[in-house]
Amino acid sequence: MSDVNELLMPKLGLTMTEGTLAEWSISPGDSVRPGDLMFVVETDKVATDITAEAEGELREILVPAGETVSVGAVVGLWTGPGQGTPQNETAGDQTEQAEQSAASEPAAVFRPAESSSNRVIATPLARRLAREYGLDLAQLKCSGKEGRIKAADVRAAARQYSTQDASATGAAAPDVGPSEEQRSTASALVQAMARRMVEAKQQVPHFYLAAEAEVSELLMLRAELNVQEGYEKLSLNHLVLAAVVRALEVSPEYNRIFHDNEIVQFERIDVGMAVSTERGLFAPVLKDLRGSSLDEIAAEARALQGRLQANTASREDMQGGAITVSNAGMFNVSYMTPIINPPQSAILGVGSIRELFRPDAQGQPVLRREMGLVLAADHRLHDGAGALTFLNRIIDALQQPYQLLRPRVAARRG
Amino acid sequence: MAEVRFGKAINLALADALEQDPAVFLFGEDIATVGGPFGATRGLHERFGDRVRDTPISEAALANAAVGAALSGLKPVLEIMFMDFMTLTMDALVNQAAKARYMFGGQASVPMVVRTPHGGGISAGPQHSQCLEAWFAHVPGLKVLCPSNPADAYGLLRSAIADPDPVVFVENKALYAMKGELLEQPEIIPIGKARILRQGSDVTVVSYGAAVHIVERAASQLAEQGLEVEVLDLRSIQPWDEAAVMESLSRTHRLLIVHEAVEAFGVGAEIAARIGEVGFDELDAPILRVAAPFVPVPFAPSLEKAYQPDAEAVIAAVRKLCA
Repeated sequence: MSDVNELLMPKLGLTMTEGTLAEWSISPGDSVRPGDLMFVVETDKVATDITAEAEGELREILVPAGETVSVGAVVGLWTGPGQGTPQNETAGDQTEQAEQSAASEPAAVFRPAESSSNRVIATPLARRLAREYGLDLAQLKCSGKEGRIKAADVRAAARQYSTQDASATGAAAPDVGPSEEQRSTASALVQAMARRMVEAKQQVPHFYLAAEAEVSELLMLRAELNVQEGYEKLSLNHLVLAAVVRALEVSPEYNRIFHDNEIVQFERIDVGMAVSTERGLFAPVLKDLRGSSLDEIAAEARALQGRLQANTASREDMQGGAITVSNAGMFNVSYMTPIINPPQSAILGVGSIRELFRPDAQGQPVLRREMGLVLAADHRLHDGAGALTFLNRIIDALQQPYQLLRPRVAARRG
Repeated sequence: MAEVRFGKAINLALADALEQDPAVFLFGEDIATVGGPFGATRGLHERFGDRVRDTPISEAALANAAVGAALSGLKPVLEIMFMDFMTLTMDALVNQAAKARYMFGGQASVPMVVRTPHGGGISAGPQHSQCLEAWFAHVPGLKVLCPSNPADAYGLLRSAIADPDPVVFVENKALYAMKGELLEQPEIIPIGKARILRQGSDVTVVSYGAAVHIVERAASQLAEQGLEVEVLDLRSIQPWDEAAVMESLSRTHRLLIVHEAVEAFGVGAEIAARIGEVGFDELDAPILRVAAPFVPVPFAPSLEKAYQPDAEAVIAAVRKLCA
């Protein structure tokens, strides 16, 4: 061993490539004993005290405080043994070190410290986790008072490494175990949908009204109409759309929207309907339904749905109207509280039909078939009392379904 | 469901065993006419006659007679007035009862139970307060149970009496007056199964007998401070439910063992050593024990209070584990 040896910038972490010599604690000519502080190294993460591993005297400072150099650079000269080799911050017997690296691969795998003075103090669980994550315990900071590395310290380090690009140092990315996640870019369609929903929920002040419609008669009507050959087969959704159309025919105040601080009143009755496809959820709009018969509504709905499934719907198909019907009845849900599809001002959430007994006027149980409805409305335009009137008109049309057969056009215009 | 005292639950278990199995009989000092020094056998002599007998004051004679009776096909349930007096039964229990099945090549067993109270807190002095369960747990061939509440006392005592091997059934004196729920048809509790009394994610505290209640008090106070303690009642000391302790430890990664017996060479020492071996990689802190210091149980109430582990000591240990 020569009289003067090199002090190197140590590698203090898996991803460390350079370090800043923050401060020299000793000056040339000072003698140190093992454990004495010599200098402080800062990385982007932490400041680390570098202590002497043997007795020696500092001869020369080659990297002044404040300068950043790469790992392994010579920062000073002293009379002690070489210290701070790039492979391992603790220098020791060269042969022993070579054996260690040969025996353990990959490089990031935990190696128990060999010499007693450098023994890493860690709990058994921390040691196990470090092995699993592929972290070097010697490089970890401990948070506990007793100077013992615990499981929490290892998990914190694993989280930190998992967010860094480990490939910069050529090391394999540590396996972060249970917290591993997969990411993929959302399609343009999903992104657009996400944007619109955030916009709707954040900017439109929603309020909600929930009620049930007794639909026994509606079901009978539908069954009787569907027996007849040569006509459109009517679905429940078609009947709910018709009920909304009938309600809009006598509630022009619900056929308007709030847009750019203006109230836009529609003359034409257009109604949106939520349609689920493999590509995602859409709300195409049925056009000009005032005075339409049940069959016309059903035919138009079916045609629109077909265009959407076939991906041939036009831009015009996707816009207009003040309200959408979102029917989740087929999914076994009592109430569905929907989000308004801007710039519309309302949306009707339709739940499944439930059979239950309710007391009649004499207190006797009567079997009822109830459909749960939730009307979400834009409070910039609508209020609770008005919306309740509108919702009750829809419920009336569903509960006395023969109304659905007779458009209100004449009454309104006459 | 009815609320009964711990002592009454023991009494009911003895009565039901006497009722259901004609081979069962009880004997001990003052258990018949007086009904037992702690009242556990009250009314049984009147109901079952000579199957519940008073004996002279010779624990050695009692224990040896019990071994003989058990080897001849009876199921004696013996009461030793204080666990401190178990010293006089040692030859019968350790050299005879514990060894018979092994030495006769499995052709004989010794289906006997020794009921005996341990524990201090009543200023009964060094010779009437000891917790000596570790001695018996150390002997292959003996089983050791220690319930913490009336329902467990009933259920474990029935299992002890039904067991084909000698069982030392330890009752903490401080618990005799404790009230607890007992089902109309009380549950029979298997030997060797621990129970989680309180779930928690920060520290597993293993305990048994009266110490369980100290731990529960500490756990409530710790919960207010944001530390969630999982309280495990061993119920059975030999065999003890290693799987349950390991299962809990694998969630909390910290272990504390609490008992009223002396810490040195105690039940906690065995559990700590075993878990240190099989649970090494689960531990995120040293295993700690809270137990009595290495001195005889003091007579003076003030000293006895200082001697017995309390909730404060448990809280301090849990805090140390979580520091």
